[in-house]
Amino acid sequence: MRRASLPLIALALLAGALLQASTAAAQVPPSPDPRIEAQAQAIERQLLCPTCTNERLDVCGTAICADMKQIIRERLTAGSTPDDIILYFEQRYGARVRADLPREGFNLVLFGWVGASLVLVAGAGGWFLLSARRSRLPVPASATAGADDAWLDAQIAEDGSAKADA
Amino acid sequence: MNVAATVGASALLTALGAALFAAGASVAGHRLRHRALLLAGRRAILAVALLTTTAVLTLGYALLANDFSIAHVASVSSREMQTAMRWASLYSGQPGSLLFWTWSMSLFMAAFVLITVPRIPWGAPHAVATLGLVIAAFLFTLVFFASPFRVSPVIPADGHGLNPLLVDPGMLVHPPFLLSGLVSTVIPFALGTAALLSGRLDGAWVRHARGWALTSFLVLSVGNFLGGWWAYTVLGWGGYWGWDPVENSAILPLLPIIGFLHALIVQERRGMLKTWNVVLVLAAFCLAVFGTFNVRSGLVASVHSFAQSEVGPYFLVLLGVTVVASLVLIVWRLPRLRAVSELDSLASRETGLILNSYLMVAMALVILGGTLFPVFSELLQDARITVGPPFFNEVMGPLFVVMLLLIALGTALPWRRATPALLRRRLLPPSVAAAIAVAVLFALGMRHFGALAATGGAIAVALVTSREYVASARAVGRARGVTALQAAPSLFGRDPRRYGGYFVHLGVAVMAIAVVGSTIYREQARAVLAPGESFGARGYTFTYERLTSREPGVNGIELEVYADIRVTEGGNEVALMQPGRRFFTNFPEQPTGIVALDESLTRDLYLFVQGWNADGVAEVHAFVNPLVMWLWIGGGVYVAGGLLAYGPARVRRPVTALASTEASQA
Repeated sequence: MRRASLPLIALALLAGALLQASTAAAQVPPSPDPRIEAQAQAIERQLLCPTCTNERLDVCGTAICADMKQIIRERLTAGSTPDDIILYFEQRYGARVRADLPREGFNLVLFGWVGASLVLVAGAGGWFLLSARRSRLPVPASATAGADDAWLDAQIAEDGSAKADA
Repeated sequence: MNVAATVGASALLTALGAALFAAGASVAGHRLRHRALLLAGRRAILAVALLTTTAVLTLGYALLANDFSIAHVASVSSREMQTAMRWASLYSGQPGSLLFWTWSMSLFMAAFVLITVPRIPWGAPHAVATLGLVIAAFLFTLVFFASPFRVSPVIPADGHGLNPLLVDPGMLVHPPFLLSGLVSTVIPFALGTAALLSGRLDGAWVRHARGWALTSFLVLSVGNFLGGWWAYTVLGWGGYWGWDPVENSAILPLLPIIGFLHALIVQERRGMLKTWNVVLVLAAFCLAVFGTFNVRSGLVASVHSFAQSEVGPYFLVLLGVTVVASLVLIVWRLPRLRAVSELDSLASRETGLILNSYLMVAMALVILGGTLFPVFSELLQDARITVGPPFFNEVMGPLFVVMLLLIALGTALPWRRATPALLRRRLLPPSVAAAIAVAVLFALGMRHFGALAATGGAIAVALVTSREYVASARAVGRARGVTALQAAPSLFGRDPRRYGGYFVHLGVAVMAIAVVGSTIYREQARAVLAPGESFGARGYTFTYERLTSREPGVNGIELEVYADIRVTEGGNEVALMQPGRRFFTNFPEQPTGIVALDESLTRDLYLFVQGWNADGVAEVHAFVNPLVMWLWIGGGVYVAGGLLAYGPARVRRPVTALASTEASQA
């Protein structure tokens, strides 16, 4: 690993100044009130970046997210509630900025899909298992002599009973 | 004339011809009972592999030779890129990744034609025809929609360079594994299709598909692990899995493959689940095609970007044809897919294996729904929403706990039928032990219900699996007159599938505990600091000292700036960490983060710099992530188990039983 020399650091700071537009925008000074700062960070975790895909506000560094973080702190200081602030961003950027999917309206279809999938698989599976249990056909002699180790199976089963008897 | 572009493009066009010939010759050879035509069809698949290899080598040469007259080379490479990074350029961008995908698929097909096809005379023409059609469909895209050999009218002096996010050593291994894992599902698919088409629906196709499915399982799993590791060390949000549409696409085909690897045991031993196994391998390939379609078209990110993509609609048609053809084949053959035997009892190993494969399908349906829902929401309601980690964690968390409990239950149950006494003996001790462990954790202050349930499940898996190893080793040791410890290694030679599989389960248990620790008990802090200032998280103090910088001068990196951060705990120095940011000459708007990690068995310290101003005041994010190291350790155990499971079973079966097995399959 090559470490930087002094001129390089100077260059870096120069580059830093050049890149200020993108980097300085990423900074949001924390609110002096620790309670408000904690609330603000909690709100950030419930919001997503409006431009990136699936990037949470608290870890996103784009300028738009820095603005949003700033607005959260200003509004909290002015007395808005967290719900008001989230609603404000939802109206401004659309529902996709909400990290948590609201359980209302059309979104309920997704929860319905999850429920239906589970019920369908559990129902079909249960029906299959119960119907397959009734032995209408003779079990082939080879049933326990498949690719696996039948001898060892028997041994383990005996091992268990031997221990129980002892 | 550009020689490289001409060679590459003609190789792809010839490959398309060869693929269509393979399909045609197989069908005609089968109809006319013409042996030479059938053999020619097989060799045409080998020719496709050679021709796509030629195309890949040609593109590789063009990348190394800085041939910027080829548009793809100019868009993903540049003069000062390191040779190793040019490997990543090969499969970046749409044409590159499609070429890699098709190449990798053709290599799997060639291996299949050489290894398995000669052993399946009943289905060889059907399998080869399927392979030919599938690869022709992808070659068609490469030739007509997304050619990596398109020549641009103006030759730029230098290339644009690789996308900044891809300039990372992780990118040299993660995409090849993932893409290969996705395409490898074509082999079980071809075997399942051959079985359906030929009507040989006994255990034969399953026996041959197992090794290939295990390969898909391993390569896809490794691809996903590497992807998680890459995201963790590069993206800077402190986690490794974000339920992103692209991540979901990568895990979806893995689920039916896992289901198949379990359900096939039931078919082999009991002749049950015939339909189900066909459904699973066909679904795995359909999901792999869906994954490519989703990633290539940007479908979920936005319906609008999908409409603009050239290959999007084509892939949609391809996906539709694959799904419909699969369904038609299965429905057509349903009468022949009857089980030859039935369950003796619900309390049996069979039930555990069947339930596992159901669970995998349920998980796949849920993930598929969550991944696609934003598309329907936008199409039907004009509402762009995000279905992200909160939703998936909420619905998948409980399913993962159920999976752990099923692993423990299935491993504890014997084949065929468990007597109530045996059930008590096998289930009571691990349940009590896991319950005690959970109670102790609760007393120690662990209150999160999901965390307690998952940890209890993982402990149960570890206990039940260990008991199986110990009991088996004792039994073998007794029979041979050696100690259990001496007999233990021979178990893997004796029945590699079973004991390798248990090893995978142990890896899953370890990973489950790592996931609980690193997601539920993560601590996160953020501060804006001037040099010399510090902040804290979970007992650690992070002191920001100064900014430093480096100029690597390769791979398009203009400058790397680091924040030196000294970490102390209770006054003792822990580490000097250097998170930073990397700036790219050709992508000034896309600086990437450099994550600093201090790893240990108990916790990872994870630092990330968001930015700084001219005075050197920097915004620093710190994460304390417990147990992340165990995720990689568990992943290693999981992969080792998968590799062990390849071994051929060396158990000698009684001749009579063997004969009757064949008879029952005929």
